[in-house]
Amino acid sequence: MSQPLTYYDEMKNKGYSRRDFVKFATMMAAFMGLERSAVGQIAKSMASKPRIPVIWLHFQECTCCSESFIRSSHPIVADILLDQISLDYTETLMAASGFQAEEAMQHTMNKYKGEYILCVEGSVPVEADGVYCMIGGKTSMQILEEAAAGAKAVIAWGSCACNGCVQAAKPNPTAATPIHKLVKGKPIIKVPGCPPIGEVMAGVIVHLVTFDRIPQLDALGRPKAFYSKRVHDTCYRRPFFDAGLYVESFDDENAKKGYCLYKVGCKGPVTYNACGVTKWNGGTSFPIQSGHGCIGCSEENYWDNGRLYERASAFAGFGIEATADVVGGIALAATGAGVLGHAVMTNIRKKDNIHMLEDEGKKEEKELDH
Amino acid sequence: MAKKYVHIHRLRRVYTWELPVRLYHWLNALVMVALIVTGFYISNPLVISSHQEASNRFVMGWMRAIHFIAAYIFFFNFIFRLYWGFVGNKYANWKQFIPTGKFFFKEIWQVLKIDILQLKGKEHLSVGHNALAGFIYFFTFIAFGIQSLTGFGLYASMSNWWLPKLFSWVPAILGGDIMVRQVHHWTMWFFILFVVIHVYLVFYHDYVEGRGETSSMVGGWKFIEEEAFQKDQQTAPDRRVLTDEKK
Amino acid sequence: MSKRIVVDPVTRIEGHLRIEAEIENGKIKDAYSSGTMVRLLEEILRNRDPRDAWAIVGRVCGVCTSVHSLTSVRSVEDALNITIPPNAELVRNIMYCTSFMHDHVVHFYHLHAMDWIDVVNALKADPQKTSALAQKISKWPKSSPGYFSDLQARIRKLVDSGQLGIFSNGYWGHPAYKLPPEVNLIGLAHYLEALEWQKEVVKVQAVFGGKNPHPNYLVGGMACAIGIDDVSGINAERLSLVKSILEEAKTFIEQVYIPDLMTIASYYKEWGSIGGGLGNFMVYGDLPWNGYRDASSYKFPPGVILNKDLSKLYEVDLRNDGDVQEFITHSWYEYKGGKDIGLHPWKGESKIKYTGPKPPFEHLDMSQAYSYLKTPRWQGHAMEVGPLARVLVGYARGREEFKDVVDRALKTLDIPASALISTLGRTAARGFEASLVSQWALDFYYQLVDNIKKGDTRMANMDMFNPDTWPKKAIGVGHAEAPRGALAHWINIEDKKISNYQLVVPTTWNASPRDSKGQLSAYESALLGTPVADEKQPLEILRTVHSFDPCLACAVH
Ligand code: HEM
Ligand code: HEM
Ligand code: NFV
Ligand code: SF4
Ligand code: SF4
Ligand code: F3S
Ligand SMILES: [Mg+2]
Repeated sequence: MSQPLTYYDEMKNKGYSRRDFVKFATMMAAFMGLERSAVGQIAKSMASKPRIPVIWLHFQECTCCSESFIRSSHPIVADILLDQISLDYTETLMAASGFQAEEAMQHTMNKYKGEYILCVEGSVPVEADGVYCMIGGKTSMQILEEAAAGAKAVIAWGSCACNGCVQAAKPNPTAATPIHKLVKGKPIIKVPGCPPIGEVMAGVIVHLVTFDRIPQLDALGRPKAFYSKRVHDTCYRRPFFDAGLYVESFDDENAKKGYCLYKVGCKGPVTYNACGVTKWNGGTSFPIQSGHGCIGCSEENYWDNGRLYERASAFAGFGIEATADVVGGIALAATGAGVLGHAVMTNIRKKDNIHMLEDEGKKEEKELDH
Repeated sequence: MAKKYVHIHRLRRVYTWELPVRLYHWLNALVMVALIVTGFYISNPLVISSHQEASNRFVMGWMRAIHFIAAYIFFFNFIFRLYWGFVGNKYANWKQFIPTGKFFFKEIWQVLKIDILQLKGKEHLSVGHNALAGFIYFFTFIAFGIQSLTGFGLYASMSNWWLPKLFSWVPAILGGDIMVRQVHHWTMWFFILFVVIHVYLVFYHDYVEGRGETSSMVGGWKFIEEEAFQKDQQTAPDRRVLTDEKK
Repeated sequence: MSKRIVVDPVTRIEGHLRIEAEIENGKIKDAYSSGTMVRLLEEILRNRDPRDAWAIVGRVCGVCTSVHSLTSVRSVEDALNITIPPNAELVRNIMYCTSFMHDHVVHFYHLHAMDWIDVVNALKADPQKTSALAQKISKWPKSSPGYFSDLQARIRKLVDSGQLGIFSNGYWGHPAYKLPPEVNLIGLAHYLEALEWQKEVVKVQAVFGGKNPHPNYLVGGMACAIGIDDVSGINAERLSLVKSILEEAKTFIEQVYIPDLMTIASYYKEWGSIGGGLGNFMVYGDLPWNGYRDASSYKFPPGVILNKDLSKLYEVDLRNDGDVQEFITHSWYEYKGGKDIGLHPWKGESKIKYTGPKPPFEHLDMSQAYSYLKTPRWQGHAMEVGPLARVLVGYARGREEFKDVVDRALKTLDIPASALISTLGRTAARGFEASLVSQWALDFYYQLVDNIKKGDTRMANMDMFNPDTWPKKAIGVGHAEAPRGALAHWINIEDKKISNYQLVVPTTWNASPRDSKGQLSAYESALLGTPVADEKQPLEILRTVHSFDPCLACAVH
């Protein structure tokens, strides 16, 4: 078999000259904040590198992350698949099945040990020794462990891989577990969202490929580039929020006017995602623009943190009706009653003491009079 | 009807609450009310269907602005109080709040018996906070801490200043803003309940003990029974405490 | 002597499917279909707010995304007796059509095509000839010789790099590939074009539902308010975006998908007698023209066909205890009433119990339970659901549109009607209905515009949205024709909460294990008799299995 094509070869094939290539490398170095002396190194590394091999595993998932990925509009996925990476294993798109598919994965794991990127879509069930997700007769736990061992970095796609998503919602019957709890000692990039925006997924891949490094991550392990702002902070309905103008009920006058969806349960104020800026499907819209509140799909445990159409948080253990304010109100009433009862009791039980004090005062008054 | 007096006290004026404590207290009470009112509004705003343009209105904007301004005052005030717990007089000292020995729990039990359950027994006479009050303030201070952590945790991503940014680890620990906001909201209820009980008990003590409890947080002076004061000075003397005698 | 072969993972599907087959004399003698991943979403739905269910069940599947949400809001609306405004119905229909077209095209090109197209062989094509052929079969403009030679160069480069990516280890060169290099090249070109197209068509769902995959639905209607004089609502700009996308979608289906389908089919006519399977077909019906409650207005008419007999149609009653039942004899579940009873979904149970071998394992024990799918039956019969069922029922009902498209295709391909019930027929039926739906989508669109023009701007009926208005107990069922077939959700509501929620999904019907009487379900029965030229390369198995468009996340949920 012939030598793998390098980035330089790719560019040559596209009609770029050696000069263009060095220029590109220079630009990239500037972008990455490197010294000029590093340019040569980047150019060299790019000139000698094959396309990054990628293994994309599928566990407890709905495959909508893959679906979202193929909807990326810049870059389009065909270009990523043909020019930027070598997606050597993904059950959704690969030609080979069964034995041939497993063989393709093994081949990449051996040949590119320590170099391939491992993408994981879906969570891993750890209950019952992992039998709730099996592929090729092995459990997802076993497969993940094997594939992660030789990976250069791991990308956790979507809320399933980042926090377990729906299947981890109470009572989480299969003990669906996110990737970062199982893979240790490897850099993990979390790209939450149900699904993440296609362009965001593509953006993470392109970042890895062009800069040859992991994007900056926030405290929760998400790329800052896409997850550092709340949906609320980039939402075009924000002026209505600040003004105090809210939709009260779907399809009411205020809904037609595009007021803020806070009171019909919008989770934008607690959700970190790029929806307000990048938007969905090539910038067509995003949930709020189409009249429905954000459901917080990129946040941990979003299925168990309150209902979709209530702003106030549900109070765990008090049934779905009990929000904090209901419980608080009841506690307040009880406290009021307690205080009242106590006051009455005081006047009965402490009558002597109080009279005594009064008498004492009167007596002293008299003494003073004298 | 013949009355049997158990004892007749000689009262002494004691300067219990120093000016910084009183300033702290009322500033805190003020911003707390502001935080609760604006917090309530933030969590569940009234709907005012208006035909005005959004650009002419800023209701939620103001509520949030007040909340954040009050939050900063609250926070620094709280920090100041923590500091004063080390340099203030003995009634302001941190030992009033954190149980440091068996006697503390004994006193708590005493207060519970006499004041809360209203069982018969010897009245408990303290000078500063009684142990139960102190212990509850301890929880209050913890709640202050929680509210500061969660509040600034939420605020971190909205601010470019380094101070709120110091708190960005809070959402990471709790698994995101949803949870942080819930904790923040629940904790508010602790304060509401605290204030109701607290204000009641202040009046209660005034009514039952007649020591000028209510006004003490204004002027600083309390009327303390001579034996109680002597005992208090014996167990833990603090010569800085002013009384009417020294005046 | 027969030999047991295993295909696991079956790729180019959604989810985790394992096929084990007994091969004897180059043909499949017995086949077993097993779903090997479970999430138990039915248990997770319990005690939740019925109004939130659409979002949770939406996550059953990201491929047939939105159809579960649609079915869910229908089930809740059924339970609470909510009638939604006509605009909401039309918007739901348009979104449905969008997802349908997307799913079918993606299935044909990205999930199924490599069973028929030899990618590497496309390198041998002559771009001139390819161009001439392309222009002969369609007026689709991207068909110049330069276009095809550029593409060929791109693929050559990929192959030369030694890193074939998704094409690694494919069955290239297998004797069952029959297409000339030029057709392979056209197919490959359209694989890439369809990849671009599919991201456009779903924008319609983004307009109304805010995003795709997993757009938003709402009990009582839709959340996208109409505001023709407002920048925020559905206005003229949004509507024309929808219209232009729907028109482009129709063009692509007419000028690319259907011509490719017919051309490829013409080289694989023998697959018109392979993979026929059960011969029982079931359709619940969908795409209401006059409200969901009026089944006679459905563009996809409901009905059941038994034993390939198109002259007699049976009705399905989803509320009737004896009609739809789920069995678990060969499934990793247990019922309180024992392993051999069937339960109507309103009384359904979802208690999991794995009894298979301890992984890693070579084979499953087929005498025991061997799948996470339950086994649904209609009045005791195994049923095939999906595009073929819909086309046949539409045909049997005498609907002109169906007759038209089917008869034309049979004539073009010069094959008998009986060839429809086959692997080839299933794949063709998907194309037929995609082309019908591409027209219906526009019909619904014009109806929507017309409605708004007449001054009806209602989009949601919120009268019953507040749980305080609900009865103490209610039960409902909602159904839809998902891309892969008949789908229904049964809901029990008690004290404003879900007390039971059961999904019986198209792929559950098709891919389930056999029942207690030993009756095979659709996959297993369709695989019987399928030839396998090379036991090590299960290409033919993939063809028949893929013709159903498996979705295992759906099937097990
Ligand atoms: C929002 C309302 C209020 C809050 C949050 C609040 C909070 C507190 C706190 C934290 C302390 C402990 C002081 C320290 O040693 O640092 C305290 C003590 C005290 N407060 Fe308040 N307070 C409130 C309202 C009031 C009101 C309305 C009164 C009187 C009418 C009052 C009277 C007192 C008195 C007399 C003490 C000392 C008595 C004791 O140790 O129990 N407070 N309060
Ligand atoms: C004792 C004091 C406080 C009380 C009672 C209080 C109460 C509240 C309440 C009830 C909410 C609404 C939560 C919800 O949405 O359910 C809120 C929001 C918030 N609070 Fe506080 N809070 C307090 C202190 C603070 C502090 C110290 C900060 C620090 C900056 C803070 C920052 C915030 C922020 C950032 C929000 C979210 C506002 C938004 O996203 O629009 N709070 N607070
Ligand atoms: N089976 C199935 Fe679905 C479909 N079509 C849903 O109901 O794919 Ni995920
Ligand atoms: S994160 Fe959401 S979209 Fe992605 S696979 Fe999981 S359920 Fe599907
Ligand atoms: S619609 Fe949601 S995200 Fe937008 S401003 Fe209102 S609350 Fe914030
Ligand atoms: S629901 Fe998800 S898609 Fe964006 S607006 Fe909210 S994060
Ligand atoms: Mg089910």
